[in-house]
Amino acid sequence: MTRLTFPPALHAEWIKIRTLRPQIGALAAVPLATVAFSALAGLGAGDDDILFSAFFGVNFGQIAAIAFGTTAVSAEFHTGALRLSLAAVPRRGSWFAAKLTAIGLPVLAVGLVTGLTALAAGAMTVGPQARDATPAEWVRGTAGCAVYLTLMALLAAGLTTVLRSGVGALSILVPFLLLVSFVLGDVNGNAADFLPDRAGQVVLHSSWDGTLGPWTGLAVSALWTAAAVAAGLWRVRVRDA
Amino acid sequence: MTSIDVHDLTKEYGPRRAVDRITFRVPPGRVTGFLGPNGAGKSTTLRLLLGLDRPTSGTATLAGRPYVSLARPLRHVGALLDAQAAHSSRTGRDHLLVLAASNRIPVRRVDEVLEETGLTPAARRRVRTYSLGMRQRLGIAAALLGDPGVVLLDEPANGLDPEGIVWIRGLLRRLAAEGRTVLVSSHLMNETASFADHLVVLGRGRVLADTALRDFIDARVHPGVRIRTTDPAALENALTRQGHDAVRHPDGHWTVRHARVDDIGPLVSAAGVPLLELSAEEGTLEQAYLALTAVDAEFAARQHEEVRP
Repeated sequence: MTRLTFPPALHAEWIKIRTLRPQIGALAAVPLATVAFSALAGLGAGDDDILFSAFFGVNFGQIAAIAFGTTAVSAEFHTGALRLSLAAVPRRGSWFAAKLTAIGLPVLAVGLVTGLTALAAGAMTVGPQARDATPAEWVRGTAGCAVYLTLMALLAAGLTTVLRSGVGALSILVPFLLLVSFVLGDVNGNAADFLPDRAGQVVLHSSWDGTLGPWTGLAVSALWTAAAVAAGLWRVRVRDA
Repeated sequence: MTSIDVHDLTKEYGPRRAVDRITFRVPPGRVTGFLGPNGAGKSTTLRLLLGLDRPTSGTATLAGRPYVSLARPLRHVGALLDAQAAHSSRTGRDHLLVLAASNRIPVRRVDEVLEETGLTPAARRRVRTYSLGMRQRLGIAAALLGDPGVVLLDEPANGLDPEGIVWIRGLLRRLAAEGRTVLVSSHLMNETASFADHLVVLGRGRVLADTALRDFIDARVHPGVRIRTTDPAALENALTRQGHDAVRHPDGHWTVRHARVDDIGPLVSAAGVPLLELSAEEGTLEQAYLALTAVDAEFAARQHEEVRP
């Protein structure tokens, strides 16, 4: 087939996102939540990890990114919506790739803005101590923040596709992210280091003492996301719509 | 030309056969009514045609090609499956813009189909504010968006007001007159009779009939003649002399079964019977359909009994 199905499918998926107010709201909430919670944590001060105190709010910003990824997919599972989408783009692999791209790219862009804003806000609240982290570390933190948020949004999108339910995906992910990680706290050097959020957030720290470094940590998160996306793709291709 | 070809199509959901080895062809240039009781397999067949469900066996093709092989399917096939498919928080126009973008259909077409379906004034309102009839019109607008050669509509008259029903009737006739292939599923008999040229009737996953509308009715319901007179004795005498089977009804009118006004009129006139009324009683699609499904139901019941120990 000479005519590509992906670019028009991506265009359609992007229109779907920008024409739904809650989706735009969720995107806007990513930097807002991140910066607000970072600022709160920064005021508490005394954190020995300057970099992470600037990016602490990502723990909350990611909830918005997850909500965005989830709702973008769950909208397809309302009455007959998926049938209409797949009737328009019958190549399900192309359709799913377009859907994920339309979720991932905006989150990546918003994630960069979030990282930069958190960095600026962090530098302001932390003051002269900000110099305790090197410019290279700040760049890594900012880029890592964008990649991490994108991976979490895609993880949510993949999981929602597998479960065919946004409520189902959120009721797994949100308690998992908010509770499990906090309960485990700063305990390092165990299997919990390999959970998608804990692994991916190493990139937001100046120093780490677990098995995973910043980039290997993101790679582990990416594996989780890849698994969720692969399972979602399988579900989309095999199932009757 | 684009015709729909369904060949030996079977779909099983677990142990249940929703569609059981059906074969039929829908040619262009006429409106084909797709009839059958709920659960007969109409919607399943439409989903199989659109590649949404995968057949257990058999094929469903459009102009010889499976739907999923079409790169820009909406330009070939327009379908209305579920009027509730549009997201309620999106505007009607945005809903159509999404579909247009996915198949590289110019934005101009979006405004054209909104106009055609009478939705222009509501185009920038959210779908949540639409009535059932407006959602139905939006679904029809979506089906017409790509100017397709094949149009598949599942219960298009659902929720439409009387003007809407007249409108859809005209629309279907026009689409067929333009040479398109039009398949319309419905459970409303009088409605279907008003627009269909041809019928495919499903029952329990099988094709019960695939025939022209007129033939379908004539084969099952015999036309009759309705007569009222002031002289019943003379009428009965005249009719029985010619071997006609006349029945008198409690309210005083008579029906002559298996007869035509062309024969009965001259006959009673020659006999000098005073007439108050003489009219043809044509069979209706509803009568024919019920006659067909009664036979089918009887067959099913008998089969059921045979299975019992």
